[in-house]
Amino acid sequence: MSTFELYRRSRIGMCLTETLDEMVTNERLSPDLAIQVLMQFDRSMTDALENQVKSKVTIKGHLHTYRFCDNVWTFILKDATFKSDELNEPVKRVKIVACDSKLLQQ
Amino acid sequence: MATNVSAVYIQVVDDVISKIRDEFINFGAGESALAELQAMWEMKMVQAGAIPGNIERPAPQKNVAPTPVHDLNVPYEGPIEEYETPTADMLFPPTPLQTPIQTPLPGTDSGMYNIPTGPSDYAPSPIADIRNSLDLKTGRPSPYMQPPSPWMSQRPLGVDVNVAYVDGRQETDRGSSQHAMTQDFFMNSSGKRKRDDYPSRLNPGGYLPQQDGSGDITIEFSLPQNVVNQLHKGSPKHGQGSVTSKVIPDRGQPAVLPQSDGVQDDYDDLFPFQGVTTEDYNTPGDHVELRAPTPAVATPKPSKDEAEEDDEPSLNEDDDDDDELDDDQDDDEPNTQHLVLALFDKVTRTKSRWKCTLKDGIMHLNNRDILFNKANGEFEF
Repeated sequence: MSTFELYRRSRIGMCLTETLDEMVTNERLSPDLAIQVLMQFDRSMTDALENQVKSKVTIKGHLHTYRFCDNVWTFILKDATFKSDELNEPVKRVKIVACDSKLLQQ
Repeated sequence: MATNVSAVYIQVVDDVISKIRDEFINFGAGESALAELQAMWEMKMVQAGAIPGNIERPAPQKNVAPTPVHDLNVPYEGPIEEYETPTADMLFPPTPLQTPIQTPLPGTDSGMYNIPTGPSDYAPSPIADIRNSLDLKTGRPSPYMQPPSPWMSQRPLGVDVNVAYVDGRQETDRGSSQHAMTQDFFMNSSGKRKRDDYPSRLNPGGYLPQQDGSGDITIEFSLPQNVVNQLHKGSPKHGQGSVTSKVIPDRGQPAVLPQSDGVQDDYDDLFPFQGVTTEDYNTPGDHVELRAPTPAVATPKPSKDEAEEDDEPSLNEDDDDDDELDDDQDDDEPNTQHLVLALFDKVTRTKSRWKCTLKDGIMHLNNRDILFNKANGEFEF
């Protein structure tokens, strides 16, 4: 079963990756097991985002860079604004990485 | 809502931990490693600010063995703690009549049972004798049980089983050590068998050529078994240590020359998460996509380092990017890289107007984590 490794770059994912790296270095875990953990994290994170989150966000900004490679879109926005019911965040520069949602259903 | 984000994160942590528990047990890592993983993960998240310091969970999900059900003799007290260690009374029923008879060890029991059958006049049944003798848990030997008296002292404690197992352990230990020793022999013998395979592999094309000396080539063909011996020394236990050591000098040389599009491509693949701070537009595949092939666009920046590329004029493509990026990052905190990780449903463009629909994303903006189910983006290029 393939997973999107995208969410490993988030804070929660990076914390998990660092923890697993330390434990593998200290030989508390085998690398295979660490990979299994990360794959399970991918699945759990995807499920949580699908089922537990219900907010809608609007993004507007100037597109500085766009890239589409290996079915992954990468945008770099300048002077963007993120809006939702409880959110209004202007940011000077933001990177958006998006994987194809259709690949998940395969 | 920030609280919802933390709740989602905690729920993800719990979900992951519970689902990999079986894997941990199968791999033999154990509950302690799992607990350590969870603790360290949460600590890092608290340090990073992803979740608040006081983690509130709805219910502690701990796998505790349920208290034994057959405890009718002891009054069932109300608040039973989860960590109450079962006492001997709870685990082992106090009735002494049931347990000692049922041990199925033929060696030790045959003596027990055979002796009372002889003088059958004295006792109604051998079992009654055993009961009588065993009730004397102090070890007083009964008149019928003199020969097996050493066993008598042990029987009430149920230690006979241990005697047998100790012997068994020794046997298994010896067996395993013998097995280990034999494994060494098998390794060599299997290596010997592998010899038969090598000439067949070498003959067709000499695919493992020894090019570290001109004379070696002739040696290869004329004395294949010598080469096989040299190859064979490294093969059985330590993999291809000696074999690859011969090949590497060859491969090392041609590997350096044609790599003109990036000096450290391999290292970029190893450390994919580092690369966002210096955004190099000309090498798209290295930083973002982990599996992207080496980009076909030749990058002028690393080419400046190559001695062979001095003839071409530098394109100076990176000047603007670097300046812009540096200016922007002076304003922001160096640690917070505003980032959105999501899935896209549709990305369209009309002239310079881009529209996209995203879903199931994590946003990290202004040092905050925000999750969304759907997002609409409208960008002007």
